[in-house]
Amino acid sequence: MAEELVIQGSALGKQFGENVIAVEDANFTIPRGSFISLVGPSGCGKSTLLRLISGLIEKSGGDLLVRNAEVVGPRSDIGMMFQKAVLLDWRTSIENVLLPDEIRGTIDTDAKKRAWDHLQLVGLKDFEFSFPRQLSGGMQQRVALARLLQTGADIMLLDEPFGALDEFTRERLNDELLRIVEGPDITTIFVTHNIQEAIYLADQVFVMTPRPGRIAAQIEIDLPTPRNIDMTTTPEFNNYVQQVRDVLAGHLDGQPL
Amino acid sequence: MSDIGSDGVLAGVKELSPIQKLAMHGLVFLIIFGGWEVGARLGYVNELILPAPTSIAYRLYEMFFVTGSIYWHYIITMYEATMGFIIGVSIGMGLAITAAISPVFRRYWAPYAVVFNVTPGIAVTPFIIAWFGFGWSSKIALAALVCFFPPFINTLTGLLHIDKDATELFRSLGSTKKQFFWKCQIPSALPIIIAGLKLAMTGALIGTIVAQFFSASEGVGILMQRFAFRLNMDGSFAALIVMSLMGLSLFTLMEYMDYKVLYWRRHSRMEEVGSKRKRKWLAENGDFSA
Repeated sequence: MAEELVIQGSALGKQFGENVIAVEDANFTIPRGSFISLVGPSGCGKSTLLRLISGLIEKSGGDLLVRNAEVVGPRSDIGMMFQKAVLLDWRTSIENVLLPDEIRGTIDTDAKKRAWDHLQLVGLKDFEFSFPRQLSGGMQQRVALARLLQTGADIMLLDEPFGALDEFTRERLNDELLRIVEGPDITTIFVTHNIQEAIYLADQVFVMTPRPGRIAAQIEIDLPTPRNIDMTTTPEFNNYVQQVRDVLAGHLDGQPL
Repeated sequence: MSDIGSDGVLAGVKELSPIQKLAMHGLVFLIIFGGWEVGARLGYVNELILPAPTSIAYRLYEMFFVTGSIYWHYIITMYEATMGFIIGVSIGMGLAITAAISPVFRRYWAPYAVVFNVTPGIAVTPFIIAWFGFGWSSKIALAALVCFFPPFINTLTGLLHIDKDATELFRSLGSTKKQFFWKCQIPSALPIIIAGLKLAMTGALIGTIVAQFFSASEGVGILMQRFAFRLNMDGSFAALIVMSLMGLSLFTLMEYMDYKVLYWRRHSRMEEVGSKRKRKWLAENGDFSA
């Protein structure tokens, strides 16, 4: 079976104002069901690229196709998650998870049942009626993940979703995320500035470099799945880390910090 | 509402038992008012400058329980302040919502509200009396004028300063502007809007009383002035205390609203509201885990 490409970019560019080139000449294809990490230093355009795909911002040039259709705005098969959980403080977990249905006017018993199940899936049993301020940072991100699942989107764009959490919580949530998105259906793009995390999660790592923001390398990660934390100490894993570092070093040499 | 003593602010104050605390409060009260009373009675303090607390208390007793003369003034003043508050807040919030929705309005019309604000509202009293006459309407108008700005600026600020990620989240979910307004902007702005309402409440009372000072036939403001003109200082002070009581009751009302509406800012309230919603959900949908 030929790979189905869900996202294709060619010569994709985004410019802000007169002379800020956030993304330049991005060429990539993303097959259905894959997990892509976008890694790079601050200001390399990884968040911009994510927002282009999400339809939140408009491209300045090139082509960007999602399921063979030009991206013209937000679409219901694309869901997003941010570094902050972005929960509505006045709503309980379950009410936050039901927000997508409320907005689409699809709230019914079935939607409520799914919201309930999604909260169980992300490990928030017994916290269905807690308010965000009663939850820890990690639990808040779990609610945000449940809300993302509730949208029913099969393309998930995650912008450093666990970046504000402590190391231990982040590792656990990364593993749970992998468990949830594994399989042939869900396509995931994960933005991070953590090289290890990028490699650990992904089938393919896009290394981005700043000024102007470019995809400097696309590295296939040929590690066995499911991943587990012991792999991060193997020579293969460290080879990949070194590859990414080399790409970044090559571009960053001589650049002002 | 919060217990400052248990936080760092008053660190160093020795923790006392409830009875000891009560005794401390009683002692401080006694020192202040006892000293004042003795000073006045022994003639160290001129009764025309500062009447003894007991004379003021007696006046209050007389107003409320003997002649009952205060009630009408009290009701009128509260009515004028409340009406002024409602009108001022409606205009202020209405303009703020319009300005939040329409960038054109915000750019070309809202600056006048700011000019309006930097002009001391109280100074407009003579015009207000000239335009609205000596009756209730001029008091209501001044109250509305003085209290219009805080709800305006707070509502506008609250509606515009929405977290960028929340905006993106709603957009990515395909939300309409109307949905975003009701489900995100308004609730996010509520804490700062209510803070504006609290300021407006005090403003409305000030506006009413100043307008009454200027010209009125009824109200606590004019009552106080009449006492003062007759050098009836204990009566004047009694009227002042009545004003404080009004302020306090209006403030308590606002605090209660704060407590009820902004449940997600208090841990005890979140637990209360959370378990209420849980019961409601279980009654409507049953337990999906069962």
